[in-house]
Amino acid sequence: MAASDPDEALLARVAEGDAAAVRALVGRKLPRLLGLAQRMLGDPAEAEDVAQETFLRIWRQAPNWRTGQAKFDTWLHRVALNLCFDRLRRRREIPTKEPPEQLDEGPAPDRALEAHDTGKRVGAALAKLPDRQREAVVLCHYQELGNIEAAAVMGVTVEALESLLSRGRRALRAALADLVEQ
Amino acid sequence: MNKAQFEALAEAYGGDIARWPDAVREDAALLAGAHPEFARAVLTRQGQLDEALDTLPRAVASRDLFERIVASAAAARRRPRWLAWLAGASVGTALAGAAAAGLVMGVQLSQASAVSAEASAQAVADLDVFGVSEEG
Repeated sequence: MAASDPDEALLARVAEGDAAAVRALVGRKLPRLLGLAQRMLGDPAEAEDVAQETFLRIWRQAPNWRTGQAKFDTWLHRVALNLCFDRLRRRREIPTKEPPEQLDEGPAPDRALEAHDTGKRVGAALAKLPDRQREAVVLCHYQELGNIEAAAVMGVTVEALESLLSRGRRALRAALADLVEQ
Repeated sequence: MNKAQFEALAEAYGGDIARWPDAVREDAALLAGAHPEFARAVLTRQGQLDEALDTLPRAVASRDLFERIVASAAAARRRPRWLAWLAGASVGTALAGAAAAGLVMGVQLSQASAVSAEASAQAVADLDVFGVSEEG
């Protein structure tokens, strides 16, 4: 598993303070981390914060990374998701805080102009999924993790992952009923 | 694999068999070959949802964010020296304060300083995120 970890050599150079390796690692991981956080949180600014915080954890962890443990990318996804869940929890605990635009998808007439913007509608539908279903869809569809790796990131069995995926996709289909065959 | 299993897998993993788990792809292809109409209908239906999901805008990392994160690596490497000073000052102050208040009975201020230095070193060791390379 870790023997074939494609990030291991780069991580070792990062631990030695190799500036080029730092830039290479950021270039390799930032788009994926940002995508993960943005799809989980639906808020670009918060997603940037999560990406930055995740990299701080990377800088701390790099010297201690040990072959034979989880794949680095799996660990990275778990760290970023934990940071996302912290923020989602805080949103629920502070109901007065203004939710991100994507979470507010009321049927008000002034939203008619956005009706054709499929991407925004998908974002809104994704944001309305229960957290664990959204996590499963984001990991498998958008992050393109394999089922075993996604299940490991989520700490569930493959069967449980498939159940979350199915329920999540059914809910998305219902939310996007006019766009996809029922 | 039967039709129900094929449908369940499509519901979980979408309309592209190439994105299904390795372990089931071959069986799925065999079933699709045996029941092409059924398979096409199932995969097309799920493929429509995949296409809709793919319209979600991709996150784009700005150059500014990239550079800030790169800079944070260098800052993390520098941090132990700064924390060493802070940890030394704060531990020293705390112990000196405790001694002055008589809470550390029988301990001379000079001894407290020695303890402070030792505690500071440990604190630095705990916080030294880049270990040996920081010393180099």
